[in-house]
Amino acid sequence: MIGALTTLVTTPIGPAAFAGVAWGILGGALPGISPSITMALLMPFTYGMDPTVAVVLLASTYVGAEYGGSIPAILIRTPGTNAAAATVIDGYAMKQQGKADEALGISLYSGFIGGLFGLIVLVLLTEPLSTIALAFTPTSYFALGVLGLSVIASVSGESLVKGLMAGVLGLMIATVGTDPVTGLNRFTFDSPELLSGIPPILVMVGLFAISELFVQSGEPGWEKAPRGSVRIRFPNAALWRRIALPQAIGSVMGTFEGIMPGGGGTISAFLAYNEARRWSRHKEEFGKGSPEGIAAPEAANNTVACTALVPMLSLGIPSSNSSAVLLGGFLIHGLIPGPMLFVKHPDVVSGLFAGLFAANVAMVIVGYMIMMPCIWLVSRPKPYLMAFIYALVVSGVYAIETSLFHVGLVLGFGVLGYAMRRFKVPFLPMVLGVVLGFMVESNYRRALVLSGGNHITFIQDPISVGLIGLALIFIIGSLLRHATDLRTKKSSVDSPQ
Amino acid sequence: MNRDFALGGATLALAAGYYLMAATIPQSLLADAVGPQGLPKTYAVLLAGLSLILVVRSLARRRVVSTEPAVSQGRSAQRHALWRVMGMLMIGVIYILVVPSLGYILSLAGLIFATTYYQGGAVNRQVAVVAVAGAMLLWLLFVMLLGIPQPSGMWPSLL
Repeated sequence: MIGALTTLVTTPIGPAAFAGVAWGILGGALPGISPSITMALLMPFTYGMDPTVAVVLLASTYVGAEYGGSIPAILIRTPGTNAAAATVIDGYAMKQQGKADEALGISLYSGFIGGLFGLIVLVLLTEPLSTIALAFTPTSYFALGVLGLSVIASVSGESLVKGLMAGVLGLMIATVGTDPVTGLNRFTFDSPELLSGIPPILVMVGLFAISELFVQSGEPGWEKAPRGSVRIRFPNAALWRRIALPQAIGSVMGTFEGIMPGGGGTISAFLAYNEARRWSRHKEEFGKGSPEGIAAPEAANNTVACTALVPMLSLGIPSSNSSAVLLGGFLIHGLIPGPMLFVKHPDVVSGLFAGLFAANVAMVIVGYMIMMPCIWLVSRPKPYLMAFIYALVVSGVYAIETSLFHVGLVLGFGVLGYAMRRFKVPFLPMVLGVVLGFMVESNYRRALVLSGGNHITFIQDPISVGLIGLALIFIIGSLLRHATDLRTKKSSVDSPQ
Repeated sequence: MNRDFALGGATLALAAGYYLMAATIPQSLLADAVGPQGLPKTYAVLLAGLSLILVVRSLARRRVVSTEPAVSQGRSAQRHALWRVMGMLMIGVIYILVVPSLGYILSLAGLIFATTYYQGGAVNRQVAVVAVAGAMLLWLLFVMLLGIPQPSGMWPSLL
């Protein structure tokens, strides 16, 4: 922790945290632009940066976007991010009562509390894992990849089959390029640009950012923010005491859902809202402008912004779209999240922790100052915003490797993403497949080479056994949940009343 | 034909094509027991299996629902949305085609102008100014501030 704070003072990660938060708030405030898209748009800019500064910039964007989403939720009844959907209920009701300033203050303050709580959880849970990093063998890494892929079962949404299909498609994309053992070219179509494979960042920018542009092209414009000045008013002592419990509930929900694959900010925000109402002395105010109804979901989604990094940093497994994009940010700088990250790049890890602390502090300062630019931005005509985002994407993607071929690939993945949305196929399983595909294949084959082709090796290594066991628990748990959901759906169809 | 049936059919064809391509990967003397074809073929078989499940399930569901008017209304909206997407895609494709000769600033200004117009903006001086200013801003950001080169086009050769 001391190392992290030293890094904060001696490197430019403080300014990076402020810049990331500012960008995140602006992006999160735009309806339809999720935290993952905001991060994906920024990623090409980080290419030439110091790795620690780059990952801090991206992680801070995530923190800022989670708060930014609540601004249009409160002001124009349109959540900027999915996670801010729960904030709409009481945030907009408070705005109608002329208390928009207070609602924004509660949102910002609760986000700050949730973010700090999440950071403490992140530091406490990830660092101990570094102690087992050196014991990892190719067998363990293969098992780790399998554990990552088992997450597909819980992030598949409504259809497990479609989720699995997306995962397999991701694994197929990961096979493009040079074979990890023999060095032969696979699926490269004699294109030199494909020899090193398809960078996961291109898949993510295409799936998240370009497909969203395509979807938005057929959607009507969003409502304008109110004219005139809107300020933030932080809670007074009485209100502070009243929202302490919902903030605690939100932080606990955010911790649990952030760590669990497929949980994420949206689910945690609604769970926190529900629990806050259950434990409140003013239940009747919920839905009519309750401060507690803002505090709980905002604390929850900002806690998730930190706790979602626990499986990503310690195991290399992204549990949400945003943490998948952050993982992409690590990869383009040659950093591979997982157990060895703590051994090989402890400076990056401590820098990230310090940067997240700075980002949470920055959220309060920048969040207070950026309100008017945010309202101005949300009020711009949608065609201009769409055009600028499109220009930013094509410029940024070209900048990664100065390749127009990559720009074309991103457009292609945008079309694929659009088709996946139309056919209700989830993105995250495909991203998991792309990110983990190479690790799974290379370590599977290396482990077999080392064991003379004997598959028993995977149940001889204790770490491997533990990870595969965990993967099985994940898969069985997800299957049971899917079965329960199906039964519930069927029984509600059979008896509509 | 419902969506799941179409999706299952498309991914089944993709799996077959991918399997055939995987089968053409040459074997190497350095190859391990699995080989460069091993996992790609496995993935193709997995995708084919999942696609078949989707197709069979969609056929089983097909008997249940018949909502003709809603479907035809939905189809017209879908077709409209698809044309919108094709337009946006074409703007991007044209950008890729012209940027090597026209250069970054001019091509990007064109992309911003075309996208704004396509999204419902007017064709007037304001849009043109915003397009050029936007392109200049991104050029300053990428090329001047971050030092990341963007295509310069044919202009340097004319000087």
